[in-house]
Amino acid sequence: MWRIRIHGRGGQGIKTASQIIGSAGFYSGFQAQDFPLYGAERRGAPVIAFTRISKDPVLERGPILSPDIILIGDETLLNDPQSAPLCGAEPSTIIFVNSDRTPESLKHNFTVMAINLTDLCIQYLDNHTVYSSALSAVGARLLGIIELPDLLQAVEDELTGVSSKVMKGNLDLARKIFEVIQPAVVSEKVNKPLIAKQLVFPQHRPVIEAAPIILQPGNMALRKTGNWRVERPEIDYEHCNNCLICYARCPDGVIGVDSDGRPEIDYDHCKGCLICAQECPGHFINTVRETGMFP
Amino acid sequence: MKTPNKIMLTGNKAAAWGARMAGVEYVPAFPITPQTEIVETLAKWFADGTLQGKFTNMDSEHSMFMAAGSAGATGVRVFTASSSQGILHGLESLYTITGWRVPMVLVNVSRALATPITLEPDHNDVMSTRDCGLIQLHAETCQEVFDFILMGYRVAEEVCLPVLVNMDGFYLSFTREPVLIPDEQEVRSFLPLYTATQPVFQASRPMARASAVFGGATYTSFKLQQELACRNAEGCFNRVAQDFEKHFGRLYGPVETFHLDDAEYVFVMSNSFATKGKSAVQKLRQQGIKAGLLKLRLFRPFPGEAIASALAGHAKVAVIDQNLAPGMGGITYPEIVTSLYAREDRPEKILSVIGGLGGKDMDDQDFMAIIENLDKLDGGSPLYLYDEKDVSGFNRLQQIAELKEAES
Repeated sequence: MWRIRIHGRGGQGIKTASQIIGSAGFYSGFQAQDFPLYGAERRGAPVIAFTRISKDPVLERGPILSPDIILIGDETLLNDPQSAPLCGAEPSTIIFVNSDRTPESLKHNFTVMAINLTDLCIQYLDNHTVYSSALSAVGARLLGIIELPDLLQAVEDELTGVSSKVMKGNLDLARKIFEVIQPAVVSEKVNKPLIAKQLVFPQHRPVIEAAPIILQPGNMALRKTGNWRVERPEIDYEHCNNCLICYARCPDGVIGVDSDGRPEIDYDHCKGCLICAQECPGHFINTVRETGMFP
Repeated sequence: MKTPNKIMLTGNKAAAWGARMAGVEYVPAFPITPQTEIVETLAKWFADGTLQGKFTNMDSEHSMFMAAGSAGATGVRVFTASSSQGILHGLESLYTITGWRVPMVLVNVSRALATPITLEPDHNDVMSTRDCGLIQLHAETCQEVFDFILMGYRVAEEVCLPVLVNMDGFYLSFTREPVLIPDEQEVRSFLPLYTATQPVFQASRPMARASAVFGGATYTSFKLQQELACRNAEGCFNRVAQDFEKHFGRLYGPVETFHLDDAEYVFVMSNSFATKGKSAVQKLRQQGIKAGLLKLRLFRPFPGEAIASALAGHAKVAVIDQNLAPGMGGITYPEIVTSLYAREDRPEKILSVIGGLGGKDMDDQDFMAIIENLDKLDGGSPLYLYDEKDVSGFNRLQQIAELKEAES
């Protein structure tokens, strides 16, 4: 069985990528299973999707903990502890990052490849945030067991409903990536003997600890949502006249006012909805694509 | 290329396809995660003319089930679906319509119940409908979801009781796998379009159902009839299953056995996690441990005889409940123990295991822990699949929640 785990953000086509690989594997004559993992729908939030391809019936369900291939659609997730895209990777795991560069630290431990899919998506789709066909083409090609016509058929089936121009762009993009990438050597995992989990008998606690009671208010600030941003709003302070409309319109209340009366964005929590940039009467809020590693 | 008629479908889509191929004529709907994809898909098919009939958005699950039951009483083929809190909200209606003795198929996409509220699955929602007189079929795969809906209509329409088909949220509802969708002609030869054999509501024919009774004896008579109808549904299910096999080549017994014949250790499971159990059984056998699995499919009526016959003669059995009746433990455990009580060759140990609550995953190490516990002489029951990592995660949350003494 081959296990593929795909990381990205809500809205980047991560679930669709897992489905294209699943369908392509199925059309190539294999058993297939795909499954996305996310909570309440949130554009920009880390999303994970899984595909299992196998000659035999797939006797697994749910998240893939030790993948053979990891496809990372958004390099900003690499250092994100909540997304933890490298979790469960072993030396044999093949890691693909949508990036211009291959992070040095990664190279030491894993087989890593990096291609800038974003530029390819701009070139073929005029869109730099939807990676469904690009990532699935990478995955399908790395596996080396999926034929190009099956991949293209899967792209067509899973993207049903898009305009013929968008469809053509996606098919050309998938074809291009299939050409550029070479199949990797994915070794079958050897089953290790099962070890019993050390179970514990839960201790009975007083109700204050036992029930879902939150006595310390204001803990939402602990939940950093800055990593949901695909694009970052940046206030142009040279022109900003402190009208504070951005402060009033921010749906998440992450724009504060500093001691000089200027608006200030809390990047730990700003989700990148960019409503502030829309609302700024003078257009003094610029939008900048997030590229570097998130701190 | 594409295998004809075999397509990648989520459990939810397989359910919608089941309703579509059954030729349903009326679908009252109310959305709830993780079920919404079912009614969304059906809404689209009714809107674009793929399905003929009526799709109605209701104002709650309570009225949704009442509408479904009422439509069933007019002699049309009815389908609906819900989950979790929605099932609980509609529970009064479910008791009511089973008493009306009307056929329909409803799908429950299992999701754990509040409090605390969550989206992920366990079986307390479907277990809450255990005693209302529904027929229950629990699906492990997307194919079973589809097949059980077709079979469900045959059973429901013969015994005049609603059939509930259960699947796990997320692990099945959002998981795509290949599903074989037969031609409409093949389906029709197994499941013809519905013509009610019992009297149904018509404008030209006034009648009343659901009359009030006083005096326990009349009530008892009706209830016992319901009990007999439900018990008879097991034989009906088995006949329908044989006919289904004739048409489609897949045989569904009330239970499924997996490497059971020579098994010394048996896991009793249901729904999608049974797949994980089967994988563990294979790995355990590779290391010389004779494990096997019994999967529950028909849960109401309870196929006690089939379960007892499958489990008798095996030394050690673990009943894994993905549900919890606080103060009692696993809900299916006592039912399974009861079915074995009269057997002389009953297992020497039947362990109750509680796991998979609120979508908590179950891995190979959990199954190995169950095996170890089955071997212990003094292993307590129930065994909770809960470990140090779970405790420390819980403690971490408690530290956030607890009142910090005035920091000023």
